[in-house]
Amino acid sequence: MTNRERAMNILHYKDADRLPAVHFGYWGELLVEWAEQGKIPKELAYGNGDGNEKDRILDELIGWDFNWSCTRGANNGLYPRFEEKVLEVLPDGTKRVLNSVGVVERIKPGITSIPSEDDYTLKDREAFETLYRPKMQFTPDRVDFEYFRNFNETRDKERPIGLNLGSVLGNIRDMTSVVGMSYLMYDEDEELFADIVDTYAEMQYQCVKSILETGAKFDFAHYWEDICFKNGPLLSPEIFDELCAKHYKKRNDLCHQYGIDIISLDCDGVTEKLLPTWFENGVNTMFPIEIGVWGDQFEPARKKYGKGMLGVGGMDKTALRKDKAAVDAEIERIKRLASMGGFIPCPDHRLMPGTKFELVQYYAEEIKKIRF
Amino acid sequence: MSIYLEISENLQKGKAKIVKELVQKAVDDGLPAAQILNEGLISGMTVIGEKFKNNEVYVPEVLIAARAMNMGVQILKPLLIEDGVQSTGKVCLGTVQGDMHDIGKNLVKMMMEGKGIEVVDLGTDVAPETFVNTAIEQNCQIICCSALLTTTMEVMADVVKCAENAGIRDKVKIMVGGAPVTEDFCNKIGADKYTSDAASAADVAVALCR
Repeated sequence: MTNRERAMNILHYKDADRLPAVHFGYWGELLVEWAEQGKIPKELAYGNGDGNEKDRILDELIGWDFNWSCTRGANNGLYPRFEEKVLEVLPDGTKRVLNSVGVVERIKPGITSIPSEDDYTLKDREAFETLYRPKMQFTPDRVDFEYFRNFNETRDKERPIGLNLGSVLGNIRDMTSVVGMSYLMYDEDEELFADIVDTYAEMQYQCVKSILETGAKFDFAHYWEDICFKNGPLLSPEIFDELCAKHYKKRNDLCHQYGIDIISLDCDGVTEKLLPTWFENGVNTMFPIEIGVWGDQFEPARKKYGKGMLGVGGMDKTALRKDKAAVDAEIERIKRLASMGGFIPCPDHRLMPGTKFELVQYYAEEIKKIRF
Repeated sequence: MSIYLEISENLQKGKAKIVKELVQKAVDDGLPAAQILNEGLISGMTVIGEKFKNNEVYVPEVLIAARAMNMGVQILKPLLIEDGVQSTGKVCLGTVQGDMHDIGKNLVKMMMEGKGIEVVDLGTDVAPETFVNTAIEQNCQIICCSALLTTTMEVMADVVKCAENAGIRDKVKIMVGGAPVTEDFCNKIGADKYTSDAASAADVAVALCR
């Protein structure tokens, strides 16, 4: 049985010979740490991307079967993107940079995590019409048609590959920052914000449609949103539903027409309050179910929505920084979840610095021993 | 409807311009600045804080309410100083060294200011010594540390140690919060209080400042 068959069988409640050992990548700092410890070759410390060649070499070294977050899609963001510019260098070396989506970020030397946001460009109708709307249009050069026409023959047939569906709100949040999104959406120009969401969503829909029309077949389809945090969603679930539900439905209906019935969505934080919008409009696979840091849960969602709710994730990755006993306890917990079917355990986000290489190997080895 | 209630209700809706106009009107009518602050602005932010704690409102409502509050406070600030009105307390707040995330920290700041606490915002990537030196120099009753990352939250332990080494541990309370932070972690590092959300942090800070 291939890992592709294993994963798809599990998510369709069919028999599988064992659980696959699935992951969701690494923080860059961890790979540097592992290289310094001599656990991995130095050339693997940089340039890792979900499912790329370096990622696959690491899979073999560690014992992973595959990375779930492995998708193919169109150039479905702003196009062309803003030209990145350093606007100012502060005395402590911090750079104020206009990034590729028009947000001014502060980037401090030596800090590689998410930079903080200083300002943003998409503040009003004029900025939208002159700078953003033109970059949110569908044009055929967003899609590599030749690649997708040959996709079924050239793709990796051993591992699942998803169709990248883009993002309905997460990308726009990146363009406006949380603060800007809040001001626009709730106070300054609700109509403009809805227009931005609709314009961007239509472009992404056309990208998805163009790819599917080439005949390319995918095992699943996948969104990225990251629109929740520790205490739930970053905006009211009612407003989220009003703005976004129709776009999920349209894109997901299209996927269903082309035979894709596994639609996963990557959202950090506690997702419970947004699940109704996602689930009722065709998203049926929670990912990565961040139980460790944020306390997100799969089991209540399964109880509420039944077997139609699937999951990939939910393994508390912080156990991989501790010891074998912590990993064993975590495996016991997720084994119970996996026994329900329709659920594939996977660390609940990218592995972070301090994660022990040997424990990750141990986890991958043990998870592959699980059979139902 | 009293003008205080009008200010409070418009603040809760995030109507910054109206709040500014109402506060100015109240001042022009000769109402005491402290009363406008407490019964209008702080009262409105308190309602928002409670609703945020109960998940009845979300981050955007807090942000627009805080912006409305700031508009009102700008008008009142010189009058409050003139009248010698004391703040509820003084806090220095920042995201710990190595961490650039500031949304959580900013929400805490807004909620604390919404309770009448003076907040010294140290920004992001703040070294333990900066927290402690600021607390000493600016006579802060509380140091508040925020972190989003499991890797950077360990710096909070260094802040506690730094405060001990500086001999101010018995004079300054240390509060911690952020996505990966828990009550257990707070106890483990010897900090004083953990809160799970920004509104609760403001409530706890008010209690600690009393």
